[in-house]
Amino acid sequence: MKILVPTKRVPDTDQRITIREDTHQIDDAQLPYIVNPFDAIAIEEAIRIREAGPQEVEIVAVGIGVAEYEKELRTALAMGADRALIIRCDAVLDPWNVAGILKRVVERETPDLVLMGKQAVDDDASQVGQFLAALLDWPQATFASNIECTEKGLRLEREIDAGIETVQIPLPAVVTADLRLNEPRYASLPSILKARKKPIEEIAIEELDYSIEPRVELIALAAPNQTRSCQRVDSVDRLVDALQEVLP
Amino acid sequence: MPLIPLLLATDIGLQPTREILGNVPSSSRWIFALLATISLGFFFWGCWRRIRIWRLGRRATARIPLRSAAVRFVREIVLQKRVRGRGIASVGHLLLFSGFSVLLIGTLLIAVEHLLADLLGRPANAPVFHYGLYYIIYEFVLDTFGVALIVGCLILLVRRCARPKSLDHRPLDVVVLLCLLFLGISGYFVEGLRILLADTGQSGCSFVGLATARLLAVTGIDKQFSPQMHLFLWWLHAIPALVLVAAFPYTRLLHSIAGSLNLLSQPESLGQMIPVRLEEVEETGRVGVGRVVDFSRERLLHLDACVACGRCEEACPAQEAGKPLSPKAIVLDVRQHIDAQPFAALARLACGEEGKLNSGLHGDVISAESLWSCTTCAACVDICPLRVSPLGMITDMRRHLIGEGELRGAPAMALQKTQRSGNPWGLPQQDRFDWANGLDVPTVKSVPDFEYLYWVGCAASYDRRVQRVARSMVWLLTQANVRFAVLGTEERCTGESARRMGDEFVFQELAATNIEVLKEHSVRKIVTHCPHCLNSLENDYSQLGGDYEVVHHSVLLASLIESGRLPQPSRAVAETITYHDPCYLARTGGITEPPRALIQTATGPGERRGEIAEMPRHARETSCCGGGGGRMWFDDSADERIGRSRVAEAVETGADTLAVSCPFCLIMLKDGIADAEAGLEIRDVAEILAASLGYEQPDRAGGTRTE
Amino acid sequence: MNILLIAELQDGQIRPGSLSALTFARQVALETDGSVRWLLLGENLEAATTEAARYAPVLFCDAAIFAATAADSWAAAIAEVVSTGNFDLVVAASGTFAKDVITRSAGLLGGAMASDVLGHAFVDGRLQLQRGMYAGSILATVTLLGSPQIVTIQPSAYAAAEPGETPATVTNEQIDTSRLPQNIRIEHLESKRGGRPDVTEAAVVVSGGRAIKSSEDFESLVGGLADTLHAAAGSSRVLVDAGIAPNELQVGQTGKIVAPEVYLALGISGAVQHMAGMKNSKVIVAVNNDPDAPIFEVADYGMVGDVYEVVPQLIERLG
Repeated sequence: MKILVPTKRVPDTDQRITIREDTHQIDDAQLPYIVNPFDAIAIEEAIRIREAGPQEVEIVAVGIGVAEYEKELRTALAMGADRALIIRCDAVLDPWNVAGILKRVVERETPDLVLMGKQAVDDDASQVGQFLAALLDWPQATFASNIECTEKGLRLEREIDAGIETVQIPLPAVVTADLRLNEPRYASLPSILKARKKPIEEIAIEELDYSIEPRVELIALAAPNQTRSCQRVDSVDRLVDALQEVLP
Repeated sequence: MPLIPLLLATDIGLQPTREILGNVPSSSRWIFALLATISLGFFFWGCWRRIRIWRLGRRATARIPLRSAAVRFVREIVLQKRVRGRGIASVGHLLLFSGFSVLLIGTLLIAVEHLLADLLGRPANAPVFHYGLYYIIYEFVLDTFGVALIVGCLILLVRRCARPKSLDHRPLDVVVLLCLLFLGISGYFVEGLRILLADTGQSGCSFVGLATARLLAVTGIDKQFSPQMHLFLWWLHAIPALVLVAAFPYTRLLHSIAGSLNLLSQPESLGQMIPVRLEEVEETGRVGVGRVVDFSRERLLHLDACVACGRCEEACPAQEAGKPLSPKAIVLDVRQHIDAQPFAALARLACGEEGKLNSGLHGDVISAESLWSCTTCAACVDICPLRVSPLGMITDMRRHLIGEGELRGAPAMALQKTQRSGNPWGLPQQDRFDWANGLDVPTVKSVPDFEYLYWVGCAASYDRRVQRVARSMVWLLTQANVRFAVLGTEERCTGESARRMGDEFVFQELAATNIEVLKEHSVRKIVTHCPHCLNSLENDYSQLGGDYEVVHHSVLLASLIESGRLPQPSRAVAETITYHDPCYLARTGGITEPPRALIQTATGPGERRGEIAEMPRHARETSCCGGGGGRMWFDDSADERIGRSRVAEAVETGADTLAVSCPFCLIMLKDGIADAEAGLEIRDVAEILAASLGYEQPDRAGGTRTE
Repeated sequence: MNILLIAELQDGQIRPGSLSALTFARQVALETDGSVRWLLLGENLEAATTEAARYAPVLFCDAAIFAATAADSWAAAIAEVVSTGNFDLVVAASGTFAKDVITRSAGLLGGAMASDVLGHAFVDGRLQLQRGMYAGSILATVTLLGSPQIVTIQPSAYAAAEPGETPATVTNEQIDTSRLPQNIRIEHLESKRGGRPDVTEAAVVVSGGRAIKSSEDFESLVGGLADTLHAAAGSSRVLVDAGIAPNELQVGQTGKIVAPEVYLALGISGAVQHMAGMKNSKVIVAVNNDPDAPIFEVADYGMVGDVYEVVPQLIERLG
């Protein structure tokens, strides 16, 4: 079985995000970047599927973006991915084009399963997995909180608004990982050092014969709630007034 | 008299002496020589079997200077300084040890005399040096220490029979003690019979022997009977002695060799860890101790040095809190594990070849849970009479767990956040200097010619409670006109927690960054209020080429008061103060007085002015708050937290204020006080000093926040 | 714009979120001189279509294949209706249904999609949409390129629509269900326990801290106020550690990161770890008996007081 894990490089979620003067980009001069936490869960799950056996599993991590992405892909390799691909592309991509590029990667790599995070914590769109499934005409299971390999494919539990849904899908398929699927391992020291040696295959976007067609145009970014100052209230009456004002 | 003529002089006149091996026929002598050879064979073979195990490991720390080794030899081996402190048990050990050592030396001297005399062809009545004043002193000293041996054996036998829980018990231990006791007693009987038999001069110096002789005479044993009896008793004395020599390395007695070596080989500072070379990790793919052969030589020596006295277990705060950790069990379990393996396989593994062991170290022998329970407080190492370091073994093995990615949950998260954001809370680096908002705190950029760099640390940078400590410090240093500066947003976590949790990678990354920054600003002297940062900057960073003069804030502040740069505190800030010694300051750093000097003046008027209401466990014998060794980042529920007994201990002193001098202790004990709903105020010594000099914290609540 | 509004049903009823999405759709239709039609998929839709028709014209397809919400068949069906009906805007309410099904149909329809929209405006005749990024700490304004456009609406951002005066038309949409992909088999749905919303999803979170002394008190104070406000209950780490509050309620660095409209911190002092998990909430209201508690530094409204006295009064007054 071959599992393709597309990942995204996102600013560390603990950091404060500020916007550059042009209002089109965030100011990332000092921001540490990480593998999107949901994608890390996907990598972990792929590793667990491999560890559970008995079938042979190859795990390929994919990243699309700038040259610096290599560092985050190394983390994926350190966690246990067998190899990594970086699709070099300096343009900012919307989910549609990410899915389009991933479709080309899937055609090259022919995985049995695409396993990825349910959303990237930068744009919070939660679209790429479903777009990719639609483009490939593969079945999908989003928000997976449990994955079990069966003879017919996969049996999954999905966390949806109505509760926990159990679904059965054949392979190949696209699965997106939710928070409670697992707790990703902390990449080990020897594996980080070994991951330094693992090669990362670099593919120029041109090689994929894909033309970018933007679907989302960014007009501006803004920071809501510039300042917050504490207004002290001294009685329950005034607290009730304040609450009635702010409650939706 | 020159030595050679002395050795050659055959006429000793009428000087007192005795015939060595008198009344022992040559047949017996030959049999004895044969048996002695066999016995020594067993002895050396036994020692070699242990030595080759020690040699499986590489030496990982530098040897201590010869001078320190000499001091340790005298204080810790000869004078048994570290054994003291256990009442009658310590007395028993001291007696047994001194009796055994002196009798051993005495026996060896006799052997030398006998061999020399044989070599020089002396007649039986003309010893080489065993006569005259030497003889008198010799006989007296040996008789005295024989009593010490017997009394020591009796004390320890009683203790063994009482079976205290901390002690590890094996039937062989009692056999060894009985054997030693028998040797002591039978020795006097042999001597008594000899005195009856030969009537040597000055027999009064062998006073116990003489008494035994008189006793025997009273019972009617006379000269006619005693030659056979003497020979019989001589053999009865000799055979257990030979058995004991042969059995020596196979019993707990081995600790006297391994323990002595251990005492002389352990590093000087408790805060030092075995360095790791990342290139080597890259090469071998291994870090820390994953298999028993990965232990360094120092650690393998621990296995034979340990006598399982259980002091470490009693001192261990994790054990006290009911955690699944016993430092003693760590050492004993590893020893049992290594002894159960075929040596050939161990040797092959140690050389980097393939080898198959019967069981794994991790999981089978040592559980991850017990390794993660350690707060690295070093109480176990400090209390060990033989300087065995279960702590070192734990951190060695933690490195392997981290290397295997075996850590999950909150502590793993803290490590990840430390790596990403430079602090275990994962808060933005640009917020690191926010604690100084509204204050005019000099930075390395604004005051480049500073004398002291004030290392603020993560807790005082981000935790709102600990920020008050930093603000007090700034006020105090300004009052005393100390030229100081802080790194501001250029400072990062020292990596101390990460290192003690076993994450060398994160530690070395952070240390390299920090060393670079410190170099850039030509930092030489550092003052910090955090004993963990202190230890790391001092002991960890020096392994990576960062050499600084680091002082704890309590030391600097106390010296500022002493030199008059800070006034004597005048305002009382508390009625009664008790002081909690941080492990890394009191035990690892050896600093207990300066923080006390700071708070002594801050107590209210009345009889107890200047007094500190000490807790039973204080100074070096302090007990851990539970926050060290990365434990700060584990999600412990209130009733399983290490160090919860510490709050109760503080409350019992009747103090209204608990003084601390470590941010970890401040946070952990503050939570503990809140959980116990104790009406105890907790403050850092700098806060207490500043308050008693009139400093008031600015009110920071209700301020404006910019996002 | 010719707008298709996908109704989300629960137990045969239209969910309130879909009515908020309808408000958005109506506003856009008004601006562009367009029209709004519902699309209802499912089985035994009679009651739901009647209900939906009170608000807007209805297209529906009542078929056994739509009894369960399998993304592949649903997305294909929606895409087919959009294409054959020449719709140029598809609207639905945010939620896991929309994320799963609507997003997949957007993938079949060219991918011009904006999720979780919080507001909109027309500038130079173009529809501009506002949506949150970086866990709500950044607000982005975007326009979609190409047609059809697909938009999901954050229900809290728009009021629920009112019904029209007369019921609208109901049209049975003919879909050849045999041609739809059917690779996802839904075996089972286990409904959530308890009635309270998830702490990460709720618009209002009532959270308790160290001041709460027992699970009973947690349930009556924090749970009680949460129920009064239809809010989720949350907790700081101390209470989870002490076994007073269940694990899944823990808000903070090691628990859940939340950013609701209103976060009520009851007896929470504001340890750094806790604040990392809730500081992005839109409005923070804190009640604590320690006037120096750091929580007040990040709160919009703060009251110094004992939660045991304040909260019962709040429940009474706001109930």
